[in-house]
Amino acid sequence: MIQVEGLTKVFHDKKRGEVIAVNNLKFNCQKGKIYGLLGPNGAGKTTTLRILATMILPTKGKVKVNGFDVVKEPREVRKQIGFLSSETGLYDRFTPRETVMFFGRINGIEDKIIEKRTAEIFHNLDMEDFQDVRVNKLSTGMKQKLSIARSIIHNPPVLILDEPTVGLDIITARTVIEYIKSFRDQGKCIIYSTHIMREAEKLCDMIAIIHQGNLIAQGTLEELKKNSSFDDLEEIFFELINQGENLE
Amino acid sequence: MSWKNIKLIFTKELVGTIRDKRTIIAMIIIPLIFYPLLFTGIGYFNKVGSMKSEEAASKIMIYGAEFAPKLVKHLQDYEKIEVLTIEDDSLIKLQNGDIQAVLAIPPDFKYKIEQGGPGKFILKYDTTEAKSRIAKQRINQVIEKYKGEILLQRLSHLDLKEEFLTPLILQEENIATAEKITGSFLAVLLPYLIIILIFAGAMHTAVDITAGEKERGTIATLLVSQISRLEIVLGKCFAVMLISFTSMVLGLIGLTLAFLSGASIAGGVEGVQFGISINTVFLLFLVLFPLVGLASAVLVMVGIFARNIREASSYITPIYMLTIFLGIISISQGIELTSKMFLVPVLNSSFVFKELLIGKIYWDHILTTFSANMVIAGFALLGATRLFTKEEVLFRS
Repeated sequence: MIQVEGLTKVFHDKKRGEVIAVNNLKFNCQKGKIYGLLGPNGAGKTTTLRILATMILPTKGKVKVNGFDVVKEPREVRKQIGFLSSETGLYDRFTPRETVMFFGRINGIEDKIIEKRTAEIFHNLDMEDFQDVRVNKLSTGMKQKLSIARSIIHNPPVLILDEPTVGLDIITARTVIEYIKSFRDQGKCIIYSTHIMREAEKLCDMIAIIHQGNLIAQGTLEELKKNSSFDDLEEIFFELINQGENLE
Repeated sequence: MSWKNIKLIFTKELVGTIRDKRTIIAMIIIPLIFYPLLFTGIGYFNKVGSMKSEEAASKIMIYGAEFAPKLVKHLQDYEKIEVLTIEDDSLIKLQNGDIQAVLAIPPDFKYKIEQGGPGKFILKYDTTEAKSRIAKQRINQVIEKYKGEILLQRLSHLDLKEEFLTPLILQEENIATAEKITGSFLAVLLPYLIIILIFAGAMHTAVDITAGEKERGTIATLLVSQISRLEIVLGKCFAVMLISFTSMVLGLIGLTLAFLSGASIAGGVEGVQFGISINTVFLLFLVLFPLVGLASAVLVMVGIFARNIREASSYITPIYMLTIFLGIISISQGIELTSKMFLVPVLNSSFVFKELLIGKIYWDHILTTFSANMVIAGFALLGATRLFTKEEVLFRS
């Protein structure tokens, strides 16, 4: 469902000159699978996901989401994706019901369908009690549920999740992870970035390790273990990063 | 481009703004409640103050009263003047406000009057004290009356009639219509107020729905939707235009109420008739519309460019100052208008408002102003949309 080939992104920075944020990435994500991008801050995870979400353009390479090209058919790509990141906010002065209605409408969904889907999502995410309370009165956990509801109201086949558990308490983070698993079970293709090893271990069917814009390894957890002298993802991660730095 | 999408963004911004307490305070409470209350309060205290000063009799001391008995008699007869016995420290008493004026009449006063010369005498008062100013006015009235009597006496000695002193009579006839009188009264301040209210009204919303969205991280959620960047910018701009226009109207209503309530308490407003015709109102709107659009588009563009609300405010401050500056220029009298001046945004609207308010309709000025402001607003809109597609602007931190 997601095909990335030779993806490169170069930023121009006044002080640093040309900065290669993402360098020649290549990976595929399948339907019903969670593909994890694992890497420290500044590795290029957010840049990659922003390109997938059509927010920024790639410098080089080809990216297709459910068959649509992110550069040539951005509008079609947007129909296929639900986007959620730790940085995406909500409108404080709207209620969850109004928020979801607005996002349904700006994604071109008819009101009747939005209402039906809202009822389902609010029921599944246990949001019915606070659906008419303004966002600024909600707890962090409630807000994160709403963010999820907002990103799936148009029932997209692909979910792009950029560190969705950052800043959440342990209970809310666990709830979010459970929902992500349930979306995989519904057959959605999920691309998930994180720097938390435990999350990647528990959640991802495929893991790609990114460091300084380069993809230094990818495979299932078992495959990564097989190619390493360690058994623990964190140790594998550091081993790969050290190898990468020594090569440079 | 879909109007349905533009309307979705427009409605979202409008609802969000109306639900913001700060908007309600700035748009409704301050102009419609605070201004009238403030002016009513000022009017009330002014009235109470002046009534007290008017009611009290003016206490005065006269040195050399014996040299001008007739004048002193007139002063004593005046109901609201109390002539006190002279004391040595009269000047200190005047400074302390115990008395309101001191009159000093020299010994040769009576002689000079009788000889047909000017009788000179000195009035000491304190211009910073309201009561002392009133005392001066009252004394002047008495002196004028006495002066009239002396003049009549002198004329009769010379066997002349009173008309001798008025060789010319000029009868003035003002042909200005009520509309023009009202207009010229309004034309001084109104254009300036309109411009300031439009920009002030647009500022908060424009920044909140652009730089504010960036700061709160909601912008990304719009960018991955089916709505195009142009539709987002237009929806936001139209919302700012409506808010800006509404706050300008409410601001003007508030100031009118404030003026009327303040003035009516302080003594009433006479002679002010609101005689603006429907045509003038229509033309005012014709000039107003592109100005509101221009203000909104420029402020939205700046808001999109800024990283956060704080940065946006610092960019907008000089723009606001420039607007005030242009407004002040437009208030200044005696500027010779050239047709090129109507190409300068903001200033041009102000000049056309002025012309319309005094009943002058110059179509070339109106059309130049309308077109110049529309073109600049259009460029600002294009600029805002272009900025909205630039990833280095949207995602810089």
